[in-house]
Amino acid sequence: MHIDWAALGTVAVVSIAMSVIFTILLASGIRLVSAAKIKSNQGGSSTATVSLGYVLLGLAGLLVLFGIYLIVPQFH
Amino acid sequence: MGIDVTELFVVITAIAVALIFDYTNGFHDSANAMAGPIATGALRPRTAVILAALLNLLGACLATEVAKTISGGFFDETLITVPIILAGLVGAIIWNLLTWLLGLPSSSSHALFGGLIGAVIVGAGLASVHGWVIVSKVLLPAIVAPLVAGIAAIMATRLAYRITRRTPSTHTNSGYKYGQAFTASLVALAHGTSDGQKTMGVITLVLIAANLQAPGTAPQWWVIIAAGVAIGLGTYSGGWRIMRTMGKGIVEIETPQGAASGAATSATILASAHFGFGLSTTHVSTGSILGSGVGREGAEVRWSVARRMLFAWLLTLPGAALVGGLAALLSDQGIFGVIALLTLLGTACLVIYFLSRRHRVSHANVTDSHEVLVLAAATPPTTYANDPRLDPLKPKKAKKAKKAKTKSAA
Repeated sequence: MHIDWAALGTVAVVSIAMSVIFTILLASGIRLVSAAKIKSNQGGSSTATVSLGYVLLGLAGLLVLFGIYLIVPQFH
Repeated sequence: MGIDVTELFVVITAIAVALIFDYTNGFHDSANAMAGPIATGALRPRTAVILAALLNLLGACLATEVAKTISGGFFDETLITVPIILAGLVGAIIWNLLTWLLGLPSSSSHALFGGLIGAVIVGAGLASVHGWVIVSKVLLPAIVAPLVAGIAAIMATRLAYRITRRTPSTHTNSGYKYGQAFTASLVALAHGTSDGQKTMGVITLVLIAANLQAPGTAPQWWVIIAAGVAIGLGTYSGGWRIMRTMGKGIVEIETPQGAASGAATSATILASAHFGFGLSTTHVSTGSILGSGVGREGAEVRWSVARRMLFAWLLTLPGAALVGGLAALLSDQGIFGVIALLTLLGTACLVIYFLSRRHRVSHANVTDSHEVLVLAAATPPTTYANDPRLDPLKPKKAKKAKKAKTKSAA
């Protein structure tokens, strides 16, 4: 009886790590952009916060693009 | 053209039934990608199924290499004949429809393997099936998938709530909804490439077995288009009963949970496809939704629903095998057997369809309730026709009378 434990372990670790990374990027991006909005409503300047927020959201978007790359066989 | 009419009839029937299976595959798995976004309102029900249908069609057409084996290692590939494929497909279709009627998500691949296994057992005996493969390819993944996806979703949900704890929900909602829509689209696309391919493989094998196509060649262009369209149409039709169970039945999903479970589902599915430990899309997305319920404080997870699902998963292979085996008794009897089998399949589909109409779930009411009813509660009790308390014309009064009676009894 053959069970590929190594593949199973890799799948478990990669799945959990990627879910966590994607969520951290998405949630932090949302938080920063929101914080910047609140600050600018109060008259403050928040260029740094808002750009960092969008960078994080962009990285989350890149992960989605990487997902498409993995799915489409023509890309590799 | 050394093919006789009977054989041609069986071949055409098998191809048609394969496309019907593909359709049930589509609507059974529509919920895997879209139940979350529909439940949180990230996508409207109609928009969600159209998007999923197009992505499934696209995914099916992208697939370059078709699964060359449909036996999955469960039995010797040389045992496969066209009548066995036909019987296996019938078993899988009926199992898919029954679980849909009950609103239970179950793996369409397992149903197909089950149907084929049953048909092979009838044709070639119990010894021809490799029992240990069932453990390593069915039982183990059915435990691993919800565990891995569940743990990923628990952690992601905890993090999402922790990170945006102080952020006003008016600001978080649209962001999380975008995240959810994108991850759901990934799942739909991946589903098209993997499951669309399965039906193409089945049809190609039928054509090869009938000497209409050279062994080892790629599927015909019309097979690719037909399989893609069938799975797309199935996805579009929505499978709203399963959608309700997954989106509402297991746990009430809030937007951060939806984003977290979407991330967990797509990450786990892509990882399992990439590193070669096959996991069922259905089991993975159910696990993520369950995990997102466990991960949010105060969320009420309906474990009874989860338990019923687990039973459905474990029963899928033997259940479909039973139907497939019975179907094989008929499909092997030449043209009349095949006609009888088709009639029975048609009747079964109609009966299940009419049963589903009694408590219909559609795109309009999918998120209204968390229960999928079949015959239960709402059917008027006809057994005590003479009992005045159960007069169907005065249902309210009858209820009151019943209540009064239980009170006085207490």
